[in-house]
Amino acid sequence: MNILVITERRDAGWNPVSFEALAAAQQIAAQTQSSIAAVVIGKGVRALAEELAAYQLAQVVLVEHDLLDHYTPDGFTVALAQAITQAKPDLILMPHTYQVRDFAPKLAASLGKGMIGDCIGYRYENGRLIFVRQMFQGKTAADVTFSGASPWFASLQAGAFRGDQAARGASPVAITPVTVDLRPEQIRTVPLELFREAKQAVDLTQAPILVAIGRGIKAPENIPLAQKLAQLMGGELAASRPICDEGWLPMDRQIGSSGQTVSPKLYLALGISGAIQHVVGMKGSRTIVAINKDENAPIFEVADYGIVGDIFELIPALTEALEKK
Amino acid sequence: MPEREKLDADVLIVGAGPAGLACALHLARLIRRHNESGAKPELSAENIYVLEKARELGAHELSGAVMDPRGIAELVPDFAQAPPFDTPVIDDAVFFLKPERAYKLPITPPPLRNHGNYVISINKLVKWLGGLVEQAGVNVFTEFAGAQLIYEGDGIAGVITGDKGVDRSGKPKANFTPGYELRAKVTVLAEGPRGSLTKELVARKKLDGLNPQVYSIGVKELWEVPAGQVVPGFVAHTLGWPLDSSMYGGGWIYGLRENRVSLGLVTGLEYHNPRFDPREAFQEFKTHPLVRPILEGGHIIGYGAKTVPVGGWYSMPRTFVDGGLIVGDSASFLNSQRLKGIHLAIKTGMLAAETILEALRAGDASARTLAAFPRKVEQSWVAKELRGVRNFHQGFQHGLWRGLAHAAIQYVTGGRGLIDPMRMPAGYTEYHKLDGAGPAPPRMRGDGVLTFDRLTDIFYSGTRHTEDQPGHLLVADTNICVGRCVTEFGNPCQYFCPAAVYEMIEEKGVRRLKINASNCVHCKTCDVADPYQIITWVPPEGGGGPTYEGM
Repeated sequence: MNILVITERRDAGWNPVSFEALAAAQQIAAQTQSSIAAVVIGKGVRALAEELAAYQLAQVVLVEHDLLDHYTPDGFTVALAQAITQAKPDLILMPHTYQVRDFAPKLAASLGKGMIGDCIGYRYENGRLIFVRQMFQGKTAADVTFSGASPWFASLQAGAFRGDQAARGASPVAITPVTVDLRPEQIRTVPLELFREAKQAVDLTQAPILVAIGRGIKAPENIPLAQKLAQLMGGELAASRPICDEGWLPMDRQIGSSGQTVSPKLYLALGISGAIQHVVGMKGSRTIVAINKDENAPIFEVADYGIVGDIFELIPALTEALEKK
Repeated sequence: MPEREKLDADVLIVGAGPAGLACALHLARLIRRHNESGAKPELSAENIYVLEKARELGAHELSGAVMDPRGIAELVPDFAQAPPFDTPVIDDAVFFLKPERAYKLPITPPPLRNHGNYVISINKLVKWLGGLVEQAGVNVFTEFAGAQLIYEGDGIAGVITGDKGVDRSGKPKANFTPGYELRAKVTVLAEGPRGSLTKELVARKKLDGLNPQVYSIGVKELWEVPAGQVVPGFVAHTLGWPLDSSMYGGGWIYGLRENRVSLGLVTGLEYHNPRFDPREAFQEFKTHPLVRPILEGGHIIGYGAKTVPVGGWYSMPRTFVDGGLIVGDSASFLNSQRLKGIHLAIKTGMLAAETILEALRAGDASARTLAAFPRKVEQSWVAKELRGVRNFHQGFQHGLWRGLAHAAIQYVTGGRGLIDPMRMPAGYTEYHKLDGAGPAPPRMRGDGVLTFDRLTDIFYSGTRHTEDQPGHLLVADTNICVGRCVTEFGNPCQYFCPAAVYEMIEEKGVRRLKINASNCVHCKTCDVADPYQIITWVPPEGGGGPTYEGM
């Protein structure tokens, strides 16, 4: 059997999960008396190919093209399909990365083949390779195998194999360049800057001062009033659930049992009634100041200082006082 | 739509309550015996799948509960040694309540005698049963709801589980996982009262019984009180106040171990005043001189609500289709006179298991084979018990006094009563129209010690949902809510919902319905009690919902 590992780079270096796929390939090869080739794809990636050649495998396949400088699903699919047709592998192993999730189903389908995604292991039984993948959020594992003729595609979950166990070879193996026919019109997407998981815009748990608004704010147009007050106080804006539920503020500003739990030095609650769901998220605040027009509002039970009054009179008054300072 | 992963099972059970788990456990054992006998085809308990929408087994179960052990004794003969059965009933009483007085009935009427029964927590019961089911090799998948039925031919062929990781506008989020397509030879609907799949199947295949399904709502709190205020095994039921004599229902107070008290109020969802609030009525119940001293100095530790199918024998839908069975509360297997259904859920789950084994052996799960299920029910004590009270609930449609008189007549006539079968309309048709909406009564705030406002109670249900997901309370036409319903019924959703999910708000003169879906405790009252029947409850993302423990 011939195994082809598709590696993945990240900027100028490796995506380390590539070596997890290689380690898996080496384990499978040992059991099935297979040979391994590994693909390096991109532009100007010969150095990576040379690095890879030091590992225990039969050859490195180098797929280089000007149009492969940046990842595109079309470019990778077209180029890898040609490389696969030339290398004639039986099994193609890939790390289960966002990039692989993007192009691999398309690649497999373009060759009319099936793919088993996100495998956590494999078994070799009676001449048959069986892959194991999780279902129901890991509550059960399913055995999946291929039907039909090779090549077969499989991607491996990160961490399922140990990349540091990928064995090096005695001497560097050959690097086989593969020329691919790729034309600009085949690539229908324009890559933008690499996407990074958006980092939490605001970490309310670290803010020393929070100005929190509740239903009393009445309408989204009034939120800037509180926003300005928060700025002047050097604090962050937070809210109770109804505000975020309405979409007036993003959900990462929500305090309470279904939001964040905070304990700032000062918590100013504006027009928040103090339902227990909210209070459990802020009762640990060092000083709680509440403004509410309902003197029976439960927020006053946890407040250190309370004002029974209209927030639309008191917010401007506080803002003005702070501006004078 | 991405392609769904498909899985094939022999048997798929939707809902891990007493009925579904009894079915799974009994079937796993029947399969083991079948294989040991060398009979063909060889079967496996691993091909039984159970789906449960709760995060953990038992977390969505709610009941009083005083349990008749008849069912569990057949399923697990040495059950009495198991932890859920540590509190046998030692004393029972029935009271008739007036606002400031309680009149103890000199004798406890036979249906409310509980000697030999157990005060239990249904959460504990289901957790324990679930453990036995998993030990028997059955796959139980918590956090997965049956979202859609797979229809095939004249029947059903499995379910599609809910998609996960969808945002409120219906777009996939980073963690999107499409639901699984689970196909099975037999699909058992064990969803509890007002199952969302059951409701759809019954409507689509016209499986309705003679009477429509009718329900009550049970609102419950669990308290911990100072030692000595209640005896474990003490059972009291009440009639009358805070309900008026036109209403069906009553209260309960049960003593548990560790100084815990289970108490609640059941109200028939066929009352006339559209602004009646069952949760507030329960709060009032706690202030009665009979109840208050029991709770004095204690504190609430749990809250919950759930519908109870009280229609009985004549409300039962047809319980079988090609490839499908309906068991337990979903099929109205509940004795409304005793307000007990757990034993019937267990027994009907077991009878379904016996039917399924025959179907698997014969390789035929058509309606013709599965029709053995109602025949088995008919030959069992389930039918005997339910037939004996077949006109009980209907007798109360003209109020408490006539209902009680009728119950007595029924008792001596073996269930026949005055008219048999006695018909009854669906409860939502019983609201009296408001004479002009008028100002809504102020909402109860509670004293925060004995009585609570709605949000405080909901907090103690432990309910939690992923906030960013599509609504799971589908209102077909909100124009009715802001139009007709305002003047005709004053938006009863704001009152019957025990979890403050529905709220009519006015902003700059514009009225609209706001749905606080993440408060939902999955009781299904809205689906049942909405006067226009435009609310459809569908399961939210698996794992969401209340966290009932010790309830």
